[in-house]
Amino acid sequence: MTEPVLRIQNLSISYTVGAGTFQAVSDVTLDIYPGRVVGIVGETGCGKSTLAQAIPRLMPEPPGSIGAGRIMFRGTDLVKVPKSKMPMVRGTGIGMIFQEPLNSLNPAYRVFDQIVESIQIRHFRDLGLVKSFQGGDKPFDYSKRPTTSVGSALTKGIVPDGAAEQAVKERIRTKSDYRKEVLDYLRLVRINDPETIIDLYPHELSGGMRQRIMIAMALSEKPSLLIADEPTSALDVTIQAQVLTLMKDLIDEVDASILFISHDLGVIAETADEIGVMYAGRIIEYGPVDEVFRSPRHPYTKMLLAAAPRIYKADGSLRSIPGNVPNLSRPPPGCRFHPRCPIAKPICKVDPPPLAPVPPSDPALAPDAHKSACYFPEEVPGLP
Amino acid sequence: MGRSPSDLIIFVLKRLVQLIPVLFGVIVLTFFFTHLDAGNICNAWYPHAGAATIKNCEATANQPILTQFYQYFINLLQGNWGASVTGVLVYPYIAAAVPATLELVLAALFIMIFIGIPLGVIAAQYSGRLGDHLVRIFYLSGWATPTYLGAVIAAVFVGPYLGLPNHGEYSTLAPPFHQYTHMSVLDALIAGNLPYTIDAISHLILPAAVLAFINMGIATRMTRASMLEVLPLDYVRSARMKGLTEFWVMYKHALRNALITTTTVLGVTAGGLLAGTVVVEEVFDWPGIGQYAYTAIGGGGSTPNYAGAVAVVIIFAVAVVVANLIADILYGVLDPRVDWR
Repeated sequence: MTEPVLRIQNLSISYTVGAGTFQAVSDVTLDIYPGRVVGIVGETGCGKSTLAQAIPRLMPEPPGSIGAGRIMFRGTDLVKVPKSKMPMVRGTGIGMIFQEPLNSLNPAYRVFDQIVESIQIRHFRDLGLVKSFQGGDKPFDYSKRPTTSVGSALTKGIVPDGAAEQAVKERIRTKSDYRKEVLDYLRLVRINDPETIIDLYPHELSGGMRQRIMIAMALSEKPSLLIADEPTSALDVTIQAQVLTLMKDLIDEVDASILFISHDLGVIAETADEIGVMYAGRIIEYGPVDEVFRSPRHPYTKMLLAAAPRIYKADGSLRSIPGNVPNLSRPPPGCRFHPRCPIAKPICKVDPPPLAPVPPSDPALAPDAHKSACYFPEEVPGLP
Repeated sequence: MGRSPSDLIIFVLKRLVQLIPVLFGVIVLTFFFTHLDAGNICNAWYPHAGAATIKNCEATANQPILTQFYQYFINLLQGNWGASVTGVLVYPYIAAAVPATLELVLAALFIMIFIGIPLGVIAAQYSGRLGDHLVRIFYLSGWATPTYLGAVIAAVFVGPYLGLPNHGEYSTLAPPFHQYTHMSVLDALIAGNLPYTIDAISHLILPAAVLAFINMGIATRMTRASMLEVLPLDYVRSARMKGLTEFWVMYKHALRNALITTTTVLGVTAGGLLAGTVVVEEVFDWPGIGQYAYTAIGGGGSTPNYAGAVAVVIIFAVAVVVANLIADILYGVLDPRVDWR
């Protein structure tokens, strides 16, 4: 089996607000393999955005802090990387698309200036002109860096063998080269009139257009992992569909693993290969999308699916899950879903159930492909 | 959207045209404030003059006020700004003093921009922590210092301690080159005289630093406040996500937006800077408009110079209006959402 691009192990994140501590993410373990799209779904406040922002360590620290666990990216534990060195990691293999396209672009700079920055950072790092993340045990050991810098190539160029000069020429880029590259990325995100759009300011663009620019910006870093944190949630339904179609096309075109965060089950169903359902900071069910949607093995997933509005449902009434999302400063003991769960038993109130494999409904799947954090997964199909 | 360079020219021209009625208003107000004064205006204008001059003056003063204003306005436009009691013409003196003050104010602004603004950024970056508190103590102590006290302390204690001159523009009274611009550093540079350039800069440091220190608070404070507004915004996070170091995130992405507010406020501080020059120039013997204002109103036991004082009021008013105009234009340039057409 290939190595996962990102391996999150037992990650716990808490926020300290005043005297209280909110356990936003508890004991989350997640592997993302190359080329896979992992969807994380859950209600507002279940910790999915915190999880997404914790990977490139973008959440504000303090008040946020990582209590335990590891975030292994390219052989390096990002939790142990000092905060001052995180800029070298960001943009190197991790791209991110944010929830609010309206505010995620800097109002003072043109589209070109914003995208070219990402390209330049990648370019400079590739050339070895700036210190950057290497991965592995010693992620910031610059001595092992290959000497491909423009400077060293120039000094070699004193010896007239021609090859070094050629290498330099290929590496030095002018503004028009950069412009061409930015235009390519704008075309990649299906912008019809890139020559005009490239010189506009964010306030002159529509929400959908801005989100396309954000996607182009993330892709221009050539990420091996793309984190999409609710990329369509803030958009109109029609624009949402367009951006989603674009995302689906790009998933096939771009050579990246994707962590797709959304509260919308439909969006996850359309995009993801695997789905993790989060509830109150924990992943309570995990498995291939079709498998989880067809035969959910956690009462919360089952009820969440039942609550999703469907236009063709026989009775017109909307279903909801009784009760409220628990307060994460005082989460209920045991299984966090037990106060709202119709099949809760005494043991559910004592010990939190582990995320354990359940027999998949599709015999073609691996026996550990589908996991559920419920003591009684066999009772779930019987729920209404 | 009108954001092409040709639109910018129109934008600036429009603002310049709007300046004309403002300046006319300033002149009207200055004239009537000084001429509607009760008592014998001629005695005020020429306190020690001979009977002939007084008689001449009274002949003018007995004319209708609008005729007087017309005469005054024409004279003003022609550069005939009157003379002091001792017969020193106001206009040539002011023409040499304004650049000197401009140099001092620009140097103070330079310090405010290149020290005051980064201090504001640091304060916002370390908001609520030691760095923030130190910066706030620094700018508040400047804010709370009376100009005369700050100037005297700098001239008497700080200057000698650091070995900086605290007197005049140059170490010699008359520099051995022609003063084209009447800005000490610039004139020395034009003459290509390096020792004099260094000498001029060392003379400039103390008064400019005092002026900047006293007015720094507004620049630092505004930068800090608007940075604190900008830093939690999503685009700052986007900039971090690109892999930019904290320095570029702060100074390229956050400060660029925070400056839009700071610039506007800096334009308004021009009045404060000019008011500061009156004391600072007198203390440091800087031959600028501030010192001229001080002597014109009879400071330091000099004979009051009515024509000079009026000229200073007009110059200060014009300076404040122009500073606001520059801030207005800069605002339009800095904020891409402002349409230039």
